[in-house]
Amino acid sequence: MPRPPSAPLDVGLARDLTLPHLDSAYNLARWLMGSPQDASDAVHTAFLRAARYVHTYAGGNAKAWWLSIVRNCCLATLAARRPGDVSLDVLETDGAAHFGATESDAPEEQLHLAQSAALVMHHLEKLPREFREVLVLREIEDASYREIGEILGVPIGTVMSRLARARQLMRKALSATPGVQP
Amino acid sequence: MKCEAARPLLEGYLDGELERTAVDEIEAHLAGCAACRAELAALESLRGALRALPRERAPADLRARLAAIGELPAMDSTRAATPGSWWKLAAAVVLGIAIGAGVMRWNLADRGGPVGGALFTRDLLASHLRALAANSPVDVISEDRHTVKPWFAGKIGESPPVVDPKSAEFPLLGGRIDYVGDRRTAVIVYGHRKHVIDVYIAPGADAADARSLQLQGFSVTPCRLSGQSAWIIADVDADSLREFSGLLGCGD
Repeated sequence: MPRPPSAPLDVGLARDLTLPHLDSAYNLARWLMGSPQDASDAVHTAFLRAARYVHTYAGGNAKAWWLSIVRNCCLATLAARRPGDVSLDVLETDGAAHFGATESDAPEEQLHLAQSAALVMHHLEKLPREFREVLVLREIEDASYREIGEILGVPIGTVMSRLARARQLMRKALSATPGVQP
Repeated sequence: MKCEAARPLLEGYLDGELERTAVDEIEAHLAGCAACRAELAALESLRGALRALPRERAPADLRARLAAIGELPAMDSTRAATPGSWWKLAAAVVLGIAIGAGVMRWNLADRGGPVGGALFTRDLLASHLRALAANSPVDVISEDRHTVKPWFAGKIGESPPVVDPKSAEFPLLGGRIDYVGDRRTAVIVYGHRKHVIDVYIAPGADAADARSLQLQGFSVTPCRLSGQSAWIIADVDADSLREFSGLLGCGD
């Protein structure tokens, strides 16, 4: 029995499915897009798309379904804006500089700096997108391999290899920072 | 276990994604290997650093923008990022309802999703492909149904029907629990020559109006198995599939 066409109800359903994971969506978008404004716009667009295609959601992991839409919206915007990668100019202003990372001579201080959020953030932002997103999903969003695979639309084996590479790159970047290695 | 074998598993161990037996093996190895312990410590320290990063929260203005979307009277004043989207949205939703008359909203509440829908089928196939990509598609390896069936007890709500076709062509390989979407589902695994046939048991799901589908070279076939809905997923030819479902005693 078809339901009477009633658009707000389906927006309501989209809301039920997506709003519990709005912070996750925004966080992912923020790491993909760089700027807060771009992230908000991407999540907004993603929400409209989710509402439009909510009838294709057939149970399953709502968070993964929603985050895959958010990611697709982000990638579409990025591809339209600058084929290749995320705008680094935005990122540069956001990471280490924003957190006031400065040169320092004292080794202990530098070591502390290396471990500080600012530097980690800086290197994560500079990671190529495919590696950045798996780390964000795994470590910040605490997603399982399966969920990440669903969000990215890739097999678990690919998730594992990207995650391994991403960690390798991060460790290399962090250890290559002057003053970090003992 | 040697270091060469342990190293590739360290991250799976760190991420809590290893099976119990692998966890035991790697812990045994770690106990006696300082180099691998150091590697694990390095991975843990990176994790600590990443998890210490501030998690971005959705700003209030974004929440407000989304909250405004559903309100019909407000539609002129709420278009921020995507002008004109409301009418497109409304049209698409109406169209979506007209087209997808079988995909009804209350299905979601009643049974966690319109089982048999396109997304469900895709979830099934994705689950099957993931299992094929894993080291082993079975969690409990046994050709004996009296071993396979009790293995599911306590792991899954309803005891799945485990049928042994008693055919050298279609040996019972074992079972596993897999996710279809976020639904834990019992899977009975059979072999056919070099192929793996997965039978997903989905109690409460209704396979009656679901159709058999061909997707990416795999067939997804609904059937009734001992009164429960099941889906057979395989990449075997149609004749073999028919023979197999006959041996299982599948109703259509």
